[in-house]
Amino acid sequence: MAKKPSLGRQKIAISKIPKKNHLQVTFSKRRSGLFKKASELCTLCGVDIGIIVFSPASKVFSFGHPEVEFIIERFLAQDPAPPDSGECRLIEAHRNANLRDLNGILTQVLEELEAERKRGEALDEMRRESQRQCWWEAPIDELGLCELEQLGGSMEELKKNVMRWINELMKSENSS
Amino acid sequence: MTRKKVTLAYIANDAARKATFKKRKKGLMKKVSELSTLCGIEACAIVYSPYQAEPEVWPSTLGARRAIARFKNMSEMDQSKRMVNQQGFIRQRIVKAEEQLKKQLRENREKEIGQVMYRALVGEGLQGLTIVDLNDLGWMLDKTGKEIEERIKKLKKSAPDSEQAAPVELQADKSSEEDNGEAAPKSNAAFNDVVAAEAMQNQPWYMDLLKPRNEGNAMSLGRNDLMPSYPYKNPTPPWSNFYFP
Repeated sequence: MAKKPSLGRQKIAISKIPKKNHLQVTFSKRRSGLFKKASELCTLCGVDIGIIVFSPASKVFSFGHPEVEFIIERFLAQDPAPPDSGECRLIEAHRNANLRDLNGILTQVLEELEAERKRGEALDEMRRESQRQCWWEAPIDELGLCELEQLGGSMEELKKNVMRWINELMKSENSS
Repeated sequence: MTRKKVTLAYIANDAARKATFKKRKKGLMKKVSELSTLCGIEACAIVYSPYQAEPEVWPSTLGARRAIARFKNMSEMDQSKRMVNQQGFIRQRIVKAEEQLKKQLRENREKEIGQVMYRALVGEGLQGLTIVDLNDLGWMLDKTGKEIEERIKKLKKSAPDSEQAAPVELQADKSSEEDNGEAAPKSNAAFNDVVAAEAMQNQPWYMDLLKPRNEGNAMSLGRNDLMPSYPYKNPTPPWSNFYFP
């Protein structure tokens, strides 16, 4: 089942989106992307960030490192530097160690995902190659009636063989 | 614009970190501004850095204060419901990535088993497969078999004539099918071509399914009760032949 190609990246004018559905979808995606960029900035550069965003439905989303409340208090107090003490530094060290671990896990999963995606593409390519040589590998929708009946028959035969073979294997497994 | 892959970790090199900070902070501000304009919503962003005493603020100090005030006016629950810190956010990302990974693994497995199925259909043995593989193969055969049945039903509905129809009737049927607009013209054309070819050559239709497809790659197929059940291909197959005439 091939994935339907999406519209891809399109240039968009920066003015309020006229259609409500489109606006809601855009908000959802871009808000998520914004938080992702903020999170990366915190990780890469070790800085403190706070973001508050109100949705079209007037719900509020917020992102904060180390915490939204800390950033708000610090900002309102016009405090140039965050409170600093031995205790604070210890907490910060713990927090950073924990974040390092989490980022490590995330990186790993993303790498696995990327590898599987590449494998998927390779498998698609192999399928396309063999479809050029073997008509019966074409999508079902493209086959004619007798081709289908032919193929269906062969598949039934194969299924019987498979079931037989499974029984054989299970029997030998039980006996050994 | 460099498109190097960046590791998700603190940049140790001071110069590189400062350069990255400048660029990404600028990009972040641009993104929050676009979000606000495109969706007509209120927002603010506050970025502290070791490079300057005052934080960088969007849209402005006053704008940020306004947003904060609106934020604080909401109930504790409304505030915290969609509030997240680094830890929470990265965890969410991990969960999402793992879901995508699971889905991709499942898709890839299906593709693999599909390959195994098509190879088995041309006679490659079932020996190397585990019981798990065989079960999945059985599942795939059932699934594809059902699709084939559905498709056959659909085609038979829009081409109700028997297979031994004479060419004359075929022509009439073809035009009536086009009128219906229901049948897939391509597959019916294939069907009609084959039957017409048979009628012209005066042979049983299943004996001569020489169907030029894809750069004239002709192959002959056997009918279940007359010849070996697996279709066999032309002499240069990618895999070894099970039955070779």
